[in-house]
Amino acid sequence: MDSARAPRPTARPPLWDLTAWRALYPGMWAWVFQRLSALAILVLFPIHVIYPYADWIRVTMLACVTWHAMHGVKVLLTDFGFPARHQRKLLAALSALGLVLFVGLAFLHRGYWRFLG
Amino acid sequence: MTEAVFHIRRGGEADDPEERFDRFRVGVRPRMTVLDALVAIQGGEAPSLSYRYSCRVGMCGTCALRVNGRPRWACRTLVEGLGGEVRLEPLAHFPVLRDLAVDMGVFFDKMKRARGWLEPTGEAAREPVRLAPESPERRRIEPHIECITCGICYAACGMVGHDPGYLGPAALNRAFTLVADSRDGAGAERLAEVCGEHGAWRCHSQFNCTEACPKGISPSDAIQALKRRALAEGARALAASVLRGIAPGSGRPAA
Repeated sequence: MDSARAPRPTARPPLWDLTAWRALYPGMWAWVFQRLSALAILVLFPIHVIYPYADWIRVTMLACVTWHAMHGVKVLLTDFGFPARHQRKLLAALSALGLVLFVGLAFLHRGYWRFLG
Repeated sequence: MTEAVFHIRRGGEADDPEERFDRFRVGVRPRMTVLDALVAIQGGEAPSLSYRYSCRVGMCGTCALRVNGRPRWACRTLVEGLGGEVRLEPLAHFPVLRDLAVDMGVFFDKMKRARGWLEPTGEAAREPVRLAPESPERRRIEPHIECITCGICYAACGMVGHDPGYLGPAALNRAFTLVADSRDGAGAERLAEVCGEHGAWRCHSQFNCTEACPKGISPSDAIQALKRRALAEGARALAASVLRGIAPGSGRPAA
């Protein structure tokens, strides 16, 4: 093959390329944030065990776990037949439910907010 | 007449080594498409600009490229909606031939790996058999058959970028239409291939393919259906082997 015509792989966009990030779709953002929330839970959980009554850790843990679980439910539902073409609506609905759960649980344990003063 | 600035990714070839974005100013006419702009640029400032198109009306899928980061058809993307600054790049995950033209070989090789053709069995092997349009089987397949292999889903898929061996949404979507077809006789072999390490289980449900497909196909649904089928087959095989193990006369010596 003529070397001038030899195909080469497309370069991956570098991490700092904002165009690439802006081009992500909602389902992809949901996926990215679920992975990030998993990492956050891994870091927060041992801190939570060591300092069980640190409010900022409890409220951050609650937020991360709620988001992680809601996206987990989304994956479960689509795995078992929820139509993927409606996944944006499912994502919106479950995010809203997660927010309600988060706010509700945080209010039930009002102590969560003590760190705000 | 308003103007739009096109930033087109070029270079990186042996005879044109410098990778860069070339800027072109284009006068925007009403209803002008990205493809119209490319034709205008090539007809004027950049006669050597390489890109592909064929039908110009969204039927062939040849003109797929990345517009402001997202894979789209140049012929069906209006310049008006792009905000004056337009960045054009070749489809992601394909080897670039030159400028915006990519080598689709890798994509069609994966169609072959997924055995993307009907292997007729029974009655269908002797003469064409019709699937009734209203039958549940045909209705399951129906939303997945309009693929024109433009490569947009493949370029949008995050997992293809992660695992170059992954079959990708289009090949798996095609495989689903065949696995779900009772006239096809290659079910077990095809399922083994498309549900292997680089098959359906590589899909991480990011739904990029479904979001990006200009034909409104949902390869995600096809892939999930393949996973469920593989799971059912696996459960059946496991149950059968367990039953063989405990059934009398199964070949095991008596204790």
